Amino acid sequence: MMSIIIINSRIDNSMAQINPDFAIELKKFGALDFNACYNCGNCTAVCSLSDEDNSFPRKMIRLSVLGLEGDIDSSVDPWLCYYCGECSETCPQQADPGELMMTLRRYLTSKYDWTGLATKLYTSKLWEFGSIFLLALIILLLFVFFHGPMTTELTVDGGVKLNTFAPWKEIEIGDWIMAGLLSFFLISNIINMYYKIIVKRKDVKIPIKLYFTEIWKLVLHFATQLQFSKCDTELSGKKYSINAYWIIHWLLMSSYVLMFAMIVVFLGWFQTDIIYNWWHPQRFLGYYATAGLTIGVVYFYIVRVYKKSEKSRHSHITDWTFLVLLFLTTVTGILVHIFRINGLPYATYYMYVIHLMVMFPMLMIEVPFSKWSHLAYRPFAVYFNNVLMAASKRINKKTEY
Amino acid sequence: MTQPNKFDALIIGGGIAGEESALNLANMDYKVIIVEKDLSIGGKMIHLSKVFPTLDCGACITTPKVSETARHPNISIYTNSEIQDIEKLGENNFTATLLEKPRYVTEDCTGCQICEEKCPVIVEDQYQWNLVGRKAVYVPFSIANPRIAAIDIENCSLCGLCEKVCPANAIDFSQEEKRSNINVNSVIIATGYNLFDPLKIPRYGFGKFKNVVTAMQMERQLVPTRPYNNVLRPKDGKMPDNIAYVLCTGSRDETVGNPICSQVCCMYSIKQAQLLLGALPMADVTIYYLHIRAFGKGFCEFFQQAKGMDVEFIKGKVGLIKEKENGNLILRYEDIQKGKVLEAEHDLVVLSTGILPNTDYSSMFKNINIEQDDFSYVHQVDELCCPAKTSIDGVFVAGTSSGPMDIPDSILSAGAASSETAGYLKGGIR
Repeated sequence: MMSIIIINSRIDNSMAQINPDFAIELKKFGALDFNACYNCGNCTAVCSLSDEDNSFPRKMIRLSVLGLEGDIDSSVDPWLCYYCGECSETCPQQADPGELMMTLRRYLTSKYDWTGLATKLYTSKLWEFGSIFLLALIILLLFVFFHGPMTTELTVDGGVKLNTFAPWKEIEIGDWIMAGLLSFFLISNIINMYYKIIVKRKDVKIPIKLYFTEIWKLVLHFATQLQFSKCDTELSGKKYSINAYWIIHWLLMSSYVLMFAMIVVFLGWFQTDIIYNWWHPQRFLGYYATAGLTIGVVYFYIVRVYKKSEKSRHSHITDWTFLVLLFLTTVTGILVHIFRINGLPYATYYMYVIHLMVMFPMLMIEVPFSKWSHLAYRPFAVYFNNVLMAASKRINKKTEY
Repeated sequence: MTQPNKFDALIIGGGIAGEESALNLANMDYKVIIVEKDLSIGGKMIHLSKVFPTLDCGACITTPKVSETARHPNISIYTNSEIQDIEKLGENNFTATLLEKPRYVTEDCTGCQICEEKCPVIVEDQYQWNLVGRKAVYVPFSIANPRIAAIDIENCSLCGLCEKVCPANAIDFSQEEKRSNINVNSVIIATGYNLFDPLKIPRYGFGKFKNVVTAMQMERQLVPTRPYNNVLRPKDGKMPDNIAYVLCTGSRDETVGNPICSQVCCMYSIKQAQLLLGALPMADVTIYYLHIRAFGKGFCEFFQQAKGMDVEFIKGKVGLIKEKENGNLILRYEDIQKGKVLEAEHDLVVLSTGILPNTDYSSMFKNINIEQDDFSYVHQVDELCCPAKTSIDGVFVAGTSSGPMDIPDSILSAGAASSETAGYLKGGIR
């Protein structure tokens, strides 16, 4: 019985200090009534993703109730949870363990971010919306002062000369600056995550080799999000469950990655004044990506509005901000394309500015500091976890002989 | 023969609480009527093997009380009957409609069971919790009181064989429902409880996996009149040697609408574990628990005794149960002591189902409302001073109608109800 009351911290060997006020802080990130938990472990037992090595979510609830921040910061478990929702559906105390895991992901995102901006963006609406408008204003002012000639002359195909108004070479410089900033913040946050999850762990020593042998897990989980397909498998007895959520999430992710690559790396090829035939990759890939983004955003918007499943029952304000920004980015992008090929110069130019005014804050806020960051944290958590598991298994083997 | 239709007290329910209150009042020379919806009085207790924590034989305690009730000159018993509605006309003045359902067997029945031998219809025996079958004409169970056969008319094929073979000419298919008005001075609600139906938790596989049984089904396997004359698992008749108990099935669980503790499941599971170790000396018994609630007199010692007998206690709620091809079951749970999710294989799983309120009482009162508490039990308006008092003066509550409780507490509660009723009849409590 003692073990559930006193948990020896993994971080250092001294007795952990409990902090009941931690709940107040955590509730800012969205958590519900997790203090109702009576430690039956039902959530862990019904969870399809939890196993002997990573038993969650009850342990995370316990750590949150006790306020053991060090242990929470060093935990990978929240990232291994995909919010299938069975834990919350079957929780006898209705303590909503699934929502707590979601909250902890928001909390950890703010902890990995060394600038402190993520905490502000998550906990203050003023900061969240203030920074969106500030970043949008910067884009607007840049265009007001530095835009190219707004020619009404059309190309030979009858399209708008967008590259005269906003030459792709200049936009690309902006892209690269933005990509540099995004990478800098995101990579430094991942290093911070690595420090919290692996370096601070004193009980496991990790041979360098393992970082290379386990790296394929990072690629695999980034590309497929395989964990998502394991939802429900414990109850249904199947190995994988192909569900709409997983497919649409993958569609959204792949579309986003494709679009990001076309905008940042191949802008010269993508932002062209030539109107190709529809089967040309420039149009075809663009259509795939916009369709994927639209379907994904609309689907997640609907499930959140109608609270269709357990995982969409509770929405934090930042979840909505993200969906709305992504939706507006997609819609304005589609409109730019329509106006351009139909030869509507002014509409194209204004829509282009609006498009960038939405996209820039969306990327700058969401990628390193908010919800979008899970695209990096999730696969890295799987990767770090596998490294840790492999290392501790080696230790166990050694002690066995 | 005209039946009396005026009584001092109407007791609804002939379980242990109803019998105890009836006997107390009858011994004070009050005229009492017991109305029992079942075919026999005795309630749930008469079906139990042993009682905790003394391990006394349940039937040996309850049957003398049952026959004393049945033979008491001041007590009239109506089995297979219901109270349809009660009207309060004034203090010490209630009228009630008594519905006597046909049994199709008259009181001339000697309980010889020849009809049972001849009857061609076999259905599940509800008094053995569906472990075995019974005939359509049947004596409910061997220690039933009255020990008179009854015809299950819904399943009866109306072949008339029983009528031909009955040596006492007691079969009477012409019986009909009978309604009559009775006048009583007071009412005691002793309608008891219902057991939780584990079909409501599909992830435990009850009904789908044959070797997942309820604790009541296990209890029947442990009584002297047990159906298989041994402890066997239902799927293949194998003697189990690794039995699991899943506590809090349908208790302390918001998702099934019963957030409160049933108070008896921990102790009856510990009792059954000890009895199983006696019946199957080589078996392992594991109890998966959330918290062991051993709060009553002698309970904690009883729990320690089970531990001393090597019953294994694992803290952790079983999340789900899977079946293997050989009928064994895999239980997935988090071992809270270790903080790890684990799986364990057992060859028989017993679900320790909880207690739910029997809300039959709520629709009986016509011109006056009886208050329910938050969990649909009878509301005790003055729980500390007059525990049997309800929202209606002259209506009292006994036993598990007021909340989950064990047998000693039910008897105490019945004692309180009878003395408060006596006080009311004397003009005391208003």
